[in-house]
Amino acid sequence: MALRAAAARLSSSSLRRRHGHLLPAAATASHAAFLHSHATSFGFKQVREDEKSKLVGNVFSSVASSYDVMNDLMSAGLHRLWKDRLISKLNPFPGMKHLDVAGGTGDVAFRVVERIKSVSHRATQGTLTDMEEDTHIYVCDINPNMLDVGKKRATEKGYNEEQCLSWVQGDAEALSFEDGSMDGYTIAFGIRNVTHIEKALSEAYRVLKKGGRFLCLELSHVDVPVFKDIYDIYSFSVIPAVGELVAGDRQSYQYLVESIRRFPKQEKFAQMIQEAGFEAVEYENLVGGVVAIHSGVKL
Amino acid sequence: MRRTTALLLRHVGGGIPQALADMLVCPLSKKPLRYCDASGSLVSDAVGMSFPIVDGIPCLLPKDGKLLEDHQRESGHETSPRDSSD
Repeated sequence: MALRAAAARLSSSSLRRRHGHLLPAAATASHAAFLHSHATSFGFKQVREDEKSKLVGNVFSSVASSYDVMNDLMSAGLHRLWKDRLISKLNPFPGMKHLDVAGGTGDVAFRVVERIKSVSHRATQGTLTDMEEDTHIYVCDINPNMLDVGKKRATEKGYNEEQCLSWVQGDAEALSFEDGSMDGYTIAFGIRNVTHIEKALSEAYRVLKKGGRFLCLELSHVDVPVFKDIYDIYSFSVIPAVGELVAGDRQSYQYLVESIRRFPKQEKFAQMIQEAGFEAVEYENLVGGVVAIHSGVKL
Repeated sequence: MRRTTALLLRHVGGGIPQALADMLVCPLSKKPLRYCDASGSLVSDAVGMSFPIVDGIPCLLPKDGKLLEDHQRESGHETSPRDSSD
């Protein structure tokens, strides 16, 4: 497995030098599209920009049904704690308008709803307030299969869409929400899969109100010496194997671990968030940097 | 009172809840969308495209948009989700 990863790394660097001309799709697909498209990464592979979204789409359509089980397995259940941490940083309040991007299965959105309910019930001892009625969580995901899973789970949990949850299929790079309309924006394990991170960040900035919070939970870079080696072995050997066993899909999980390594390091990503216009940008490493939560405020 | 209003307006815009219709704009132009009864889709007149609604979920991916035919352009007969909230 380590060998395969090394080979992938080698081939990706040689492909990058040749600007993706060697990729079969580039030669056969429309030349016009190729002229206007730049190379980007798909895991360790270099692919055309317009192709990345398609490839990422295939990954998530393929893993949608087993997504939550796999998250539990791969993170030993820790992803629940990380998401809880994200929510406590967001500090949701009754009446808030919140956008969760790339959250198709509803994991983050349900937590926001629950938190708001518990906050306002403490305050009003169980009566539904106007403020709570104004609360609305918008879930936006590019992948319809992930949204289907989320909608189904919402019904099972007894959430009424008209009350507080809406589902929209959309692109983080071209959001379909009004300027200055949201109090909060979260993206958990999503921004890594976006083709142009800076476009997604500027869209996040656009839809937030002044004073609105941006929060991003993402698998990041481990910098603790021995732990880094263990994490590498785990990532490149264990995860693809478990992916094959449980989800019957080795390649999607191979993509996952490669894409994590290609994502900008904590400091660099924080700088990108600042460049998008956010202030008070900071980040917190969890489990030695396996994941990081970046945050910023629109002032 | 608020709740009754919310209930009445719930399905304005062809199965899209009002709270959602109020917020949505065209992903390309960021201009308002109108609901087209005939096609059951959301129309962006600013860029001349329509976006489908599948199982109650608006699909607002630029690549899933369809270019409007001439007869679909602003006819004035459609109900706008935005107007009906006023």
